[in-house]
Amino acid sequence: MFGAFRPTNVLSGGLLWKIPWRLSKFQKARQRKRLRAVDTVVAVVDRALAKQGIMTKAVERWKEEMPVEQEMVPKDKYTIFDRKEKKYRKSIRKLPKWTRVSQRVNPPGY
Amino acid sequence: MSYFRITLMRSGIGLPKRTQGVLKALGLRQIMKTVFYPVTPEVAGQIMKVKELVAVQEVDRALTKEELKAERRPDPGFYLESAVPR
Repeated sequence: MFGAFRPTNVLSGGLLWKIPWRLSKFQKARQRKRLRAVDTVVAVVDRALAKQGIMTKAVERWKEEMPVEQEMVPKDKYTIFDRKEKKYRKSIRKLPKWTRVSQRVNPPGY
Repeated sequence: MSYFRITLMRSGIGLPKRTQGVLKALGLRQIMKTVFYPVTPEVAGQIMKVKELVAVQEVDRALTKEELKAERRPDPGFYLESAVPR
């Protein structure tokens, strides 16, 4: 029961990943903060260009396709679509570099 | 003439070469580095490429290196009084 060779889950079962599926409330708060920061950058760029009457494809496309943080549903903020997962969703932290990439839209209906 | 004041808040390490190349082209070599560029569609496109990594403001003029340094300098907490003329 005690000692160096006690049969714990890790020792007897081989691979055991203990990464929580859900983000904690603090991680979710930081995720929302990052989403809002990106929204702010886009808004500032858009306002500066609009003052000079310029239209830019990158900004227009972003505004057309991407919802802002307040418009997103919690499901899309904290999880992403994955066809191999049960119920087709996995935690957003499984996305490589998830704090530095924009992943906001998922397939409709999933 | 207005300018974009762009500050690198997150590192580009480990991101695609294209993204890192944009940071290099903007002159953002390390985090908290600030650069100024005029408001043009070209610069806007570059900012959109690295929008997750930077903080952007629109300002009226580009600050010099010395002015940026003075901005960062904390309040010394004292001031020197000048001698009262008799």
